[in-house]
Amino acid sequence: MVDLIKKSAKSLQESLFSSVGSSVLTIATTYLVINFFRGMLGFALTSDKDWLAVLNNMQLYMVQAYPEEDFIRVWLSVGLTFVLAGLSIGIWRSEARVKSSQVFNSFFKGGLGVLFFTIIAPTNASFMGNDGSVITEEVLSMDSRLGILIPVVIFCAIFFSIRFTNVSFTVNSSDMVFFYLFIPVALLWFVKLPTIQLNQNNERIIPDPVMPIASSTKIPWTVIFVSFLVSYFIGMYLKNIKSIKSIMSLSWFLLPLLIFSWIFKKPQIDMSVVLGSDLPIFGVFLLWGFLVITFVNNALFKKYYSTYLGVTFLLTLAGVFSGLPMLAKTCLLLITLFSVVVPAVSTSSQGKRSLLIVWAVALVTLTFLLRGGASDTGIVVPGSSIFGGFSLTWLLAIFGTYVSFPLGVLLALGRNSKLPIIRIVCTGIIELTRSVPYITWLFFASVTLAVFLPAGVEFNLIVRVLMVTAFFSGAYFAENIRGGLQSIPKGQYEAADAIGMSPFQKISLIIMPQALRAVIPTLVSSAITAFKDSSLVTIIGLFDFLTIGKTVIGNQSIPVNFVGHDRENLIFVAIVYWIFTFTLSRRSMKVEKKLGLGER
Amino acid sequence: MSIIQTKDVKKWFGDFQALKGITMDVAEGEVLVVCGPSGSGKSTFIRCINRLEQHQEGQIIVDGIELTNDLKNIEAIRSEVGMVFQSFNLFPHLTVMQNITLAQIWVRKKNRAESEEKAMELLERVGIPEQAQKFPGQLSGGQQQRVAIARALAMEPKIMLFDEPTSALDPEMIKEVLDVMKELAKSGMTMIVVTHEMGFAKEVADRVMLFDDGMLVEENTPDEFFNNPKSDRTKLFLSQIL
Repeated sequence: MVDLIKKSAKSLQESLFSSVGSSVLTIATTYLVINFFRGMLGFALTSDKDWLAVLNNMQLYMVQAYPEEDFIRVWLSVGLTFVLAGLSIGIWRSEARVKSSQVFNSFFKGGLGVLFFTIIAPTNASFMGNDGSVITEEVLSMDSRLGILIPVVIFCAIFFSIRFTNVSFTVNSSDMVFFYLFIPVALLWFVKLPTIQLNQNNERIIPDPVMPIASSTKIPWTVIFVSFLVSYFIGMYLKNIKSIKSIMSLSWFLLPLLIFSWIFKKPQIDMSVVLGSDLPIFGVFLLWGFLVITFVNNALFKKYYSTYLGVTFLLTLAGVFSGLPMLAKTCLLLITLFSVVVPAVSTSSQGKRSLLIVWAVALVTLTFLLRGGASDTGIVVPGSSIFGGFSLTWLLAIFGTYVSFPLGVLLALGRNSKLPIIRIVCTGIIELTRSVPYITWLFFASVTLAVFLPAGVEFNLIVRVLMVTAFFSGAYFAENIRGGLQSIPKGQYEAADAIGMSPFQKISLIIMPQALRAVIPTLVSSAITAFKDSSLVTIIGLFDFLTIGKTVIGNQSIPVNFVGHDRENLIFVAIVYWIFTFTLSRRSMKVEKKLGLGER
Repeated sequence: MSIIQTKDVKKWFGDFQALKGITMDVAEGEVLVVCGPSGSGKSTFIRCINRLEQHQEGQIIVDGIELTNDLKNIEAIRSEVGMVFQSFNLFPHLTVMQNITLAQIWVRKKNRAESEEKAMELLERVGIPEQAQKFPGQLSGGQQQRVAIARALAMEPKIMLFDEPTSALDPEMIKEVLDVMKELAKSGMTMIVVTHEMGFAKEVADRVMLFDDGMLVEENTPDEFFNNPKSDRTKLFLSQIL
C-alpha cells in the first residue's frame, strides 16, 4: 500500500513536475480547468437554470409533433432497432472476458470523478436577475456537499480495497452491455424526479413536485430492454446458422428503410395502385431478371452482351427522366446493375438458383418499401414534415450515408476511369458540388431544384434535401476514396489481371477493399461532418434536433414558459451530438484495428 | 508443337523502343530461361505474353489464340497463363488460403470446398501448408513467393511466367523458391523464367536466351550457352555475372 502511494507519487512528479517550466504549466492548467468546471457547475446548479426545460421536452426532441396516439410506431421503431442490436451482439458475441479488477477499477475512477466535481463545486453562484441586477445564491450547502461526499468516499474505498482481497472473477465483455443498460432502466422504476405540474389557472406549481417517472416512459423502455435481452439469447442460439452474419448485415441495411417507409410513416395504401401499377411492373422486371439469369451462359447472349448492356443503359437513362412511376425507374436502375453483375458472379446451376432467389427477394423488398415510401402518410402533423427533431437528424444522417457512400465509390472510380467521357462527367460533378457551400445547395434544394426536374416530377422537401446531401457528401467521399485508390500499388492490379479476373471482379474484390481500408479514418471524419452538418437544414425550415433545442423550446411559452432557457437545451444537444460522434469514431478505431490485421 | 509464338514483336514506351522485333517460340513442356542486363527488355517481353504490357507491332499467339484488344481473348489467355512477380503482389487483405482460392471461385467458378482442397494440395506442394490461415504480411519473403506460385498454379495454367522471382529475396530464401520452381519444371510445366540465377538455368532450362537492348541476342541450349556461346555479347555478359 505504502509502496503503491510512493510509486504513484513518483510517477506524478516525473510527469507533471519534472522541471520548473512543466510545474508552472501544470499549475496554470489545473487552475484553468478547475475554474472552468466551477463555472459550469455553478451555472448548472443555480435556481435560474431550469433543467426541466430539457427533461420535459424529450418528446419534442425525439419526434417533434408526431401525434401521441401513434406513438406505438415510434416505440416499435426503437424496439426493432434494439432487437436487431440484441441479435447482433448475440451472434457476434465476443469470447473476450473482462477481469473484475478492470470493472472495479472503472467504478473507482468514476467515483473519483464524482468526488472531484463535488469538491470543486462552488458554494455560491451568481446569475443575472430579471431586473438586470446580479443575484448570488447558495447552490451547494455544506450539508448537501457532505451528503454526497461521504457515500462516494465509502464507495471509492470499497472498490479500491477490493484489489487487496482475493475477489477475482471475469465477465464476458458482451454481457457487460446489458449490465450497463440495466442500470438506467431499473432506475426508471425507482427514481423520482421533479415534474412540471400546472394548477387550475395553468400556472406552474413551484417548487416542482417530486413524482415517479410516467409509466408511458418506463413501460416501453422496460419492454424494449426485455426484448433486447431475449433477442441476445436468441442471437447466441442462432450463432452457428450458415450465412446468419450476412443476413444480419442485410437486416441492418433494410431496417431504417422499413422504419422510415412503413413503421414511422403509416402509409395509406391505395390498393388500386398496388394492383394496377406495382404488380405489373414487378412482374415485368421479375421476368426480365429471370431471362438474364437463364441466358447468361448462352453463346448468342454472350455475343451481344455489350449491345444488350448499352441498350439497357440507354433505356434506364430515358426511363429515369420520364414520367414513369418511381418503382419502374428504380427497377430499371436495378436491372442495369444486375445485368453487369450476373456474368461476373457464379453461374453454375446452383448459382443460378440462388441468383434467382436473390433477384425475387430484392424485387419484393423494393416494391414493398417503395409502396410505403411513395404513399401518402396517415400521420397528421402541423407543418411540412412528419419528421422532426432527432428522427429528422437520424433520417438525414442514415440516408445521406446510404446514398452518398455508394455514389462516392462510383464517382471515385469514374474519375479514375480510362474512358474520357465518364472521367470528365465524374470530375465535373465532384468539382461542381464541392465548390459550392452546403447551405447554397440546401437553398437550391428548397427553391431551385424543382425547376431542373422534368415537368410533373415533384419531390417532398426532405427528399430534395436528401438528393443534394447525397451529392454533396458523395463528392467528399469520392475524393477520400480516390486517395485510397492512389495508395494501391500497380502490382495489385497486375496480379489481379494475371489470374484472369474481369475488371469488375478486380475492382470489387481486390482494389476497393484495400482502398477503403486505407481511408477509414477520413471516411469516418467525413461521415461525422455530414452528421453534424445535417443541423444546417434549419435554414430551409426543417426542424432538426438542434433547432428543437435552440428555437422551438427556447421560444415556447405555452403551456409552460421556457423562454430564455435555450442554454440548458444547447448543452443537452451538444452532449447528445458528442455521444453519437464519439461512439462512431471509437467504433471506427476498432474496425480499423480489426482490418489492420496482416498489415506489415 | 509450340504453345507460344511471337513474330517480330515491337514495343515502345514513348520514344524509347523497349522491344526491337522479338521472334521466338516455346514448345509445350519446355523450360526457357531469359537473361540479360537490366533494361534489356526481358521483363517487358514476358509481360507482353499475358498482356500486362501491350505490344504495338508484331504478333503474339498463345495456345492458338492471338493477343488482340479483344477483352475476352485477353481474359481467356490470362487464365491459361500463370504469372509470378518479383514483388510477389499477394493480396494483403486476404489470408493465404483466400489468396489461392479467390481466382478459382470467381474466375473458374468452382465451389469453395473444392477450391480449398486444391489450395491445401498446392500449399503442401510448395511446402507451407501450416501457413494457410495467415496473412501475407506475416510471412517471410520466400514463403510469400511460394504462396504466389501456389496462387498462380491454382488456376491450373498451361504456362507459367516468372518475372525475376528471386530478385527481391534474401540469399537464404532464394533456394526454397528455386526448389519449388525446379520441382515444377520437372513436372512438365511450360515455363518462361526471367532470372539472374545461372545455376537454375544450367540445371533445369531446356533453352537459354539472352536479351540485350530490346533484341534477342542469343538463343541456345544451356550447355552451349554457358560453355560455347555464339555471340561476343553473351561472352561479355557471362564474364560479368559468373
